[in-house]
Amino acid sequence: MTLEAAHAALLAHLEAQERPVREIDRTFYDTFDGLLHAGELSVVREGGRLSLIEPGSGAERAGMTSSEPNQPLLAVALASGRLRDALLSVVEHRALLPLVQVCSRVRPLDVVDDEGKTVVRMRLEEPTLVSFNGRDTALRPRLTLAVVRGYDKALTRVRYRLEHELGFRPADQRLVDEAVRAAGRAPAGTSSKIDAALSLRQRADVATAAVLRGLLEVMKANVEGTIADIDSEFLHDYRVAVRRSRAVQKELSGVFPPAGLARFRQEFRWLQAITGDARDLDVYVLEFDHYRAMVPEGMHGDLDPLLGVLRERRLAARRKMVQALQSDRADRLYAQWSSFLGALESAPQEDRPDAARPIGEVSGERIAKVYERMVKMGDAIDGSSPPEDYHDLRKQGKELRYLIELFGAPLYPSEVIKPMVKSLKALQDALGRHQDREVQVATLRSLSHEVSGLPGGTAALMAMGVLVEHLGEDERAARAEFAQHFGEFASESQRELVRDTFG
Amino acid sequence: MSKVLATYNVKGGVGKTSAAVNLAYLAAHGGSHALLWDLDPQGASTYLFRVKPKVRGGGRNLVRLKTDVDDVIKGTDYEQLDLLPADFSYRHMDLALDATKRPTSRLSKVIKPLRDEYEWIFLDCPPSISLVSESVFDAADALLVPIIPATLSSRTFEQLTKLVQGGPQVLAFFSMVDGRKTLHREVMEELRSHSSSVLDAWIPASADVERMGARRAVIAEFAPRSRAALAYEELWDEVGRRLEDA
Repeated sequence: MTLEAAHAALLAHLEAQERPVREIDRTFYDTFDGLLHAGELSVVREGGRLSLIEPGSGAERAGMTSSEPNQPLLAVALASGRLRDALLSVVEHRALLPLVQVCSRVRPLDVVDDEGKTVVRMRLEEPTLVSFNGRDTALRPRLTLAVVRGYDKALTRVRYRLEHELGFRPADQRLVDEAVRAAGRAPAGTSSKIDAALSLRQRADVATAAVLRGLLEVMKANVEGTIADIDSEFLHDYRVAVRRSRAVQKELSGVFPPAGLARFRQEFRWLQAITGDARDLDVYVLEFDHYRAMVPEGMHGDLDPLLGVLRERRLAARRKMVQALQSDRADRLYAQWSSFLGALESAPQEDRPDAARPIGEVSGERIAKVYERMVKMGDAIDGSSPPEDYHDLRKQGKELRYLIELFGAPLYPSEVIKPMVKSLKALQDALGRHQDREVQVATLRSLSHEVSGLPGGTAALMAMGVLVEHLGEDERAARAEFAQHFGEFASESQRELVRDTFG
Repeated sequence: MSKVLATYNVKGGVGKTSAAVNLAYLAAHGGSHALLWDLDPQGASTYLFRVKPKVRGGGRNLVRLKTDVDDVIKGTDYEQLDLLPADFSYRHMDLALDATKRPTSRLSKVIKPLRDEYEWIFLDCPPSISLVSESVFDAADALLVPIIPATLSSRTFEQLTKLVQGGPQVLAFFSMVDGRKTLHREVMEELRSHSSSVLDAWIPASADVERMGARRAVIAEFAPRSRAALAYEELWDEVGRRLEDA
């Protein structure tokens, strides 16, 4: 059906009023990892208004006037109100990036009732993708329907008539998705999950290399956003991929030639070290509102000098990190790691005892081994154990978690994996809180001198004292919870399940 | 958080509805989400927006918070502009309010859940001094008071200022002004010299304003370049500035 024919058909069959033709200019947003797309939501800026659009009805869930130019938006930085709350619940810390700009010539046709009142808004639209490199691309014309509040039944009626009497078909994709595809990108965004189609009998070195290649892709995909400081999740995802790679390097070392592996393990340790401070300080700044909530309300403002110091330190840590991430050493590492993985399958096997064994067997062994190691370590922990014992257990827990996520979940039945992950997660949360609180107390102590010298420093120090006390209490609470969570993690039935499945 | 503006005057026929409808349109046209609550049982603004003057459960259930206000709001012909329609039962709104606890804070309570959703809420009030108007004074951040520049208008304005003392900000503006009449010019000058609450922008007596009833549309739609349309734009700009200053 041509646009003209559609226009004529609509006017002939529906009680519709033509409104003046207009041009509209829209910018669509989504997060790097496509959180809006996953929920079939969209965020659009049109005519000085930023709106979160519902799936299906096209109605606005929340919106606000906004004259910001098209640049990344952080929900937390928006003025308080419905849009901020609604976006925070969907995207949290992730920035909304301008994805595509679509300019449309629109012929509005309003379906009216017997009073001449608009009850459904239709627009026949000829959209054009405004290319970022200057060339525009025509997209398919489409008819969009928008509900008028309080007239939902009219929308249902019009939609029925369009589909059953006038031969219109629902679009196979949303305008934003069509535009993103036309711009050569994926509407679902870039995921930090890896998808390395594994099978139990696959050669261990081939499967391991596939997983590690996936992780390298995640690292590379997140470097740019980390350097540009678009949001805190780029660095977080980058670091998780580094840590997961390190866990695989360590636990599946039998698939690699030892000499080659040793050098890469050292380089990955370097990557983790150069990104550590910046990430820790990201977390302090992101969680600062939680810290404020830990002190009495009258003291909330007293913590401002501390926030100032944390922000400065964060910037300094970022500068160092960015320098390292942009270095030749980092570029070389990605390239050499990639070719090392590519050559793995054909490398000699004498010093790689696990290389040709099935991945199901090798990874199962490692999962069972790390699990048993944790059970042993945890059994030895009692109320008088030093914090390091908890930390060491937590590190093992992370390795186990990565092994399960990367190999356990794709290869083994979910009725085994799910309860294991659940009890491990609860244990790790308690261990994590224990360690984080301890580190936070130490950090606050180390900053006290610098903060005390600032204007408002005395009040800040007093508030920090209260904060340290609360963090200490929370650390003790986490320690007290440990026994229960560990009990579940290391229960007889759980141990039996692990032995039967992986042993 | 939204701003609640009420167009109010004890007298009828001074341009309250025209102001409410045209200013609400301008708010929405500027990209904000705006709501107009037609509190007048005569339902003039509801009629202008071509919506049926009917609220399920009537005014009584609305002020007793028995009606989910979300369910009775209607979209208008203008994007971003919604209407909480009039209902004939609003003529007994005083009685309905009187039967509640703390009647003067009732309208506030009704619109409370809407304040997150709409940046601007306009209350188009019936001409009276009553529980309804007291309740409006409680709910509104500012009263927009149209004044016809006639002999008694300054007295009415003084009465009103006294009445709402300590309540919402009062922003008065001249309405239905005939620039050719010496009396109008004199009254405007005099009242402005006495009170800083009187705005500079004013709305002319105009056939376009009268035609709104026949066209059932805002002036900006059928006479966008008319004096009246421009006057409402100036008024809206000035209201915005005054609210910011306050």
